Amino acid sequence: MPRFISPLVLALVGTILFGDGAYIHAKAWLAQVLLERAFDHSVATGQPFKPWSWADTWPVARIEVKRIGASAIVLEGTSGQALAFGPGHIHQTVDAGERGVAVYAAHRDTHFRFLRDVATGDVIDVTRSDGKRFRYRADASSVVHFDASGIDPTTHGFELVLATCWPFDSVTSGPERYILHATLIGTDG
Amino acid sequence: MSNCDAVDSNEHPWLGRVVKVGLFLLAQSIAVLLVSFVALLVSFAPGWSATTEQASLLQPGDAKSGSLLLKEDSAYTEAIRLGIDVDITVSGPTLRTRVTQIFRNPTKDWVEATYVYPLAADGAVDTLKMVVGDRVIVGDIKARQQARAIYEQARRNGQRAALTEQERPNIFTNSVANIGPGETVLVQIEYQEPVHQSGNEYSLRVPLVVGPRYNPAPIVQSVDFRKDGSGWGATHSDPVPDRDRISPPVLDPANNAPINPTSITVHLKAGFALGEVKSHHHNVKIASPDNATRVVTLADGNVPADRDFELTWKPTAEKAPSVGLFREHVGDADYLLAFVTPPAAEQTTQKPLPREVLFVIDNSGSMGGTSIEQAKASLLYALGRLQPNDRFNVIRFDDTMDVLFPTPVPADTTHVSEATSFVSALQARGGTEMVPAMRAALTDKLGDTNTVRQIVFLTDGAIGNEQQLFETITAMRGRSRIFMVGIGSAPNTYLMTRASELGRGAFTHIGSVEQVDERMRGLFAKLENPAVTGLTAKFSEAKVDVTPAIIPDIYRDEPLVLAAKLDKLAGSLEIKGRVGDRPWSVTLPLQNAAEGKGLSKLWARRKIGDAEVARTLREMTPEDTDKTILALALDHQIVTRLTSLVAVDKTPSRPEGQPLKVSELPINLPAGWDFAKVFGERPQLTPTQLRERRADAGQPAARRPAPVTPDAIRLPKTATSAALKMIAGLIMIVLALILFVFNRRQRLLTDVA
Repeated sequence: MPRFISPLVLALVGTILFGDGAYIHAKAWLAQVLLERAFDHSVATGQPFKPWSWADTWPVARIEVKRIGASAIVLEGTSGQALAFGPGHIHQTVDAGERGVAVYAAHRDTHFRFLRDVATGDVIDVTRSDGKRFRYRADASSVVHFDASGIDPTTHGFELVLATCWPFDSVTSGPERYILHATLIGTDG
Repeated sequence: MSNCDAVDSNEHPWLGRVVKVGLFLLAQSIAVLLVSFVALLVSFAPGWSATTEQASLLQPGDAKSGSLLLKEDSAYTEAIRLGIDVDITVSGPTLRTRVTQIFRNPTKDWVEATYVYPLAADGAVDTLKMVVGDRVIVGDIKARQQARAIYEQARRNGQRAALTEQERPNIFTNSVANIGPGETVLVQIEYQEPVHQSGNEYSLRVPLVVGPRYNPAPIVQSVDFRKDGSGWGATHSDPVPDRDRISPPVLDPANNAPINPTSITVHLKAGFALGEVKSHHHNVKIASPDNATRVVTLADGNVPADRDFELTWKPTAEKAPSVGLFREHVGDADYLLAFVTPPAAEQTTQKPLPREVLFVIDNSGSMGGTSIEQAKASLLYALGRLQPNDRFNVIRFDDTMDVLFPTPVPADTTHVSEATSFVSALQARGGTEMVPAMRAALTDKLGDTNTVRQIVFLTDGAIGNEQQLFETITAMRGRSRIFMVGIGSAPNTYLMTRASELGRGAFTHIGSVEQVDERMRGLFAKLENPAVTGLTAKFSEAKVDVTPAIIPDIYRDEPLVLAAKLDKLAGSLEIKGRVGDRPWSVTLPLQNAAEGKGLSKLWARRKIGDAEVARTLREMTPEDTDKTILALALDHQIVTRLTSLVAVDKTPSRPEGQPLKVSELPINLPAGWDFAKVFGERPQLTPTQLRERRADAGQPAARRPAPVTPDAIRLPKTATSAALKMIAGLIMIVLALILFVFNRRQRLLTDVA
């Protein structure tokens, strides 16, 4: 039946492509499950704990926005590998809760999809791997070019920036980034 | 009932097709899930990730051409190795230093190396040689831009090239392009420098490392209004516009063995019978071929380049010669170098004027470790030397500042002990905002002209905005005199000399706690004894160009050093001045001058220094200054901020198309410095990256890698291709379905027919 061959090939290629895309989401989702476990372990032991044995990064913080029920585990570093599994902490910047600005970046279509729903005034909770919790309040958002972020790493305030690609619904990548700026309002634990 | 079913199915033949299509869709979606999970299980490998890292690592300036890559791993083990050999020949009043830098490339790539290194602030760099294999290529002096263009051209053409540029009068950069895999390239520079004299002691100093500088952030803009009163002006936003050029990567001594091994040899021909010869910070072996000659070598072979080398020597006679006169004939002119030590004034019958002394101590992070101990010990010594009728105050600064007393107070027991405990409690931390502290010290609150106002400023001078400090001194010096005390193993000598010159004072180096007593005693001799003032120099016959143009006051034990260019060597030189309140004069017949070496270069170097000072004092416009400097530098073949030496090997070596990597050679932290105190507070500024760059044939001339400025946090690429792939996949599946259904219907139709 030669006339079945072309739809079958088409279906197969389509399936593989779709699977590849779904795989990115599946990996992002599954990694977060593993990371959640590793992070809880880190908080309990106070030691960095790798989520799987061959990982080249480790969880450093948990970001939560309670109002919209969003949560993600942040990894150290922003290499492509780390970003596939979770938001990354740009490592020239300080840790959350310290003087300066902590910058976390993640993919717009996976872990930081929720950023579009975060409004000015929302409370962002960041739990560090040493168990300390910091409460930030979102106070500004802007769209910038990737190499002119306008983020001042030497700021004297206690600040947090969450960054992802812009626009959210685009399917191709571009030079623009969406950044959500927040300032520390409280510490507990 | 089964019949009925059969009838039903026969009556609605399309219903079965719908069921079939539904089943197919179900199978399809199961297949999709299966494939995706198989993929997930089979390989969790990072390679599958749809995002790439490179976009985030492009330097901002080069992002468009996409050629520059920044590598952030600590790959120094694979980087260029550097060895340094310093060979110094002292002949009487001058010394010539030959610095050989050996760049060895152990990697498999073609490499461009840059190394930032210090030289003596008053040295005149006049020779650059590059040795490749058995060929020696001698560098030419060129205007800086032109030299840079020649170097870039050679770099692109794959030719070996070397470039020596001045970043500060005491900081230079050597760039070497196209060092082949496994190859060794020698770069040799030579400079001329006068020997330093203080009282009975002669000295030379070889700086071996540039201490990391504090570069104030461009927060406050200053405004320069045009002089024509039109109301238009320009803002200066960055106090250190070339911050990236003077900030090489620094290795943390806790994590890295010291690098850049250095060997030092000094051939000392003093011209008189030698007494004590001493190296202050290195163990040395001293050989004595005859009584006026010594050969000094390092006892332990090589040392890491992490502190200044300091050598002092004294004559056997009780007193050093008080006069020295040397000449050199170059071209159609004669050059003269004169050293005259005025007699020490006997204590005059009248009581010395009471003094107002302001002590300023730098307790910034760069002073951490042994430096702060030396500074505190020096200041405590100074407090102990105050007389009851003196007035004093203490200012400490890092990026903040404290003035101990609101106004200068009498040096009675209560105040001195209060100051002593204030100083003892100081700790080194923070940045180095030197300008506000200098401003506070120069603010003359008492305005009492019956006293002598002296500022004793203790610092390592590890700042990048020297020019701002000089301008502050010039604008506010009034009747104050500034005495700089350079602290630590690698102080910024250029800052010390120029600041004390502009402040009409003197400067002293303290390189270790053991030197505190001796050096501070020398400083106090200068502070407590009247200076030799109103100095003039007059040549009886020759037409001359003398430097320094305005002769500064001379403090106790210091010689007056004059350099002059004469049309003929005839007549005499008469120097007049006042020692304390008594007139003094001395006449030197020029015929008696001895032959010296490289005096013309020293004269030119000092003329250039004069021009820079005149610019700071606003006696010369920047344009005129530049013109003067450029003419002098090209005439006398010396490196300045406007001229560079460039050497190009004419035979191309790097095959076309082979990439070239850039390696910025790291330096040691100066000995006694505390890495955490300097860098710890701002980890994001630690410049430990190795920069790499690929030079493609035909790529437009690229400057050095753009600096990673603090405000350039580049955000990584944060979009996956998941949506794109899934949409494309779905479209294909739908297409396949349509084709399938269409095909099936066609077949059914043919079956029916």
